[in-house]
Amino acid sequence: MTREEFEKNRRRFGDDIEAWPAPFRRQALEFLAPQANADPDDVLDGLVREAALVEEDGALARKVMARIDRSAARPSLPRFLVAPAGIAACAAAVLVAATVASYQVARLQDPLQDSELLALASGERLPDDGSSAIIPDPGEEDSL
Amino acid sequence: MADEASRGDDELLARIAAGSQAALSALMARHGRGLRTFAARYLGHAADAEDVVQEVFVTVWKQAARFDPEKGRASTWLYRITVNRCIDQRRRRALRNFFGLDDLVEEPAAQEADAEAATAAKQELAIVRDGLSRLPARQRMALLLRAVGELDIGAIAEVMGASAGSVEQLLVRGRRALRDHLADAAAGRERKSS
Repeated sequence: MTREEFEKNRRRFGDDIEAWPAPFRRQALEFLAPQANADPDDVLDGLVREAALVEEDGALARKVMARIDRSAARPSLPRFLVAPAGIAACAAAVLVAATVASYQVARLQDPLQDSELLALASGERLPDDGSSAIIPDPGEEDSL
Repeated sequence: MADEASRGDDELLARIAAGSQAALSALMARHGRGLRTFAARYLGHAADAEDVVQEVFVTVWKQAARFDPEKGRASTWLYRITVNRCIDQRRRRALRNFFGLDDLVEEPAAQEADAEAATAAKQELAIVRDGLSRLPARQRMALLLRAVGELDIGAIAEVMGASAGSVEQLLVRGRRALRDHLADAAAGRERKSS
């Protein structure tokens, strides 16, 4: 008899096992005998243990050894680089480097941009050859 | 190997720290199944459990020297590593689910219950598994550490990073929920058969 069958019969015939029909009573007593002195929590834990069992995989040791061999063969990164703090530090370093590089690139372009802005502000125009020198507007002197 | 099998866990870990693969094999033979059972039922995913247990023993291989028998039992240490790996695995899977990279969250316990309806005994175990999979994660973890890992309250508290009182509460609630689930399943089948 399983626990489920026992519970079913208990609902059917009542809590008093002595009042159950003889064949069911005998089966119930046999079912309860080993559990008579057992802690109900231990009985439930035993059921959980039995239910939880999974098929044994005999290849566990082989797979673990293969992983160990692989990790030994592979040159691993320094521990701090694979830790979250290490990754964050690397990301911050990349960001700073990118910012500095951007400023450097922008600085190379600055003289030309300054000249263009100055020309725009003063109403003058830049020569067509791309030189940064500001040349006066041909009609400017006449207008004064 | 026969020699290694007769050694205690502490001694095996000391030998693993010294580079003995035979000692690692002996430790795997002794605890591998329990750890895998715990991980499989906690995670509800056999492939993840397999991966976790492999990671655990790779960690043991690398960090056996860190184990201090003065601070606790070897089995407690092994289960603590397993619990940490399981929590990481759950987070990874939750993240993958969030980004839609995984369709499968947990093994379909209800289908398992139907598939195993061949005999009443198997069916009962399937109902217990179903009940386990429906418990809140920490209740399930405490129950499995108690039933599968056979750890006492103090060791479970150490593994879970909780107080003994909290663990007792988790066990009481988990067992109550599991009993209710068993009773509901029995009542449901009774209604169906009548």
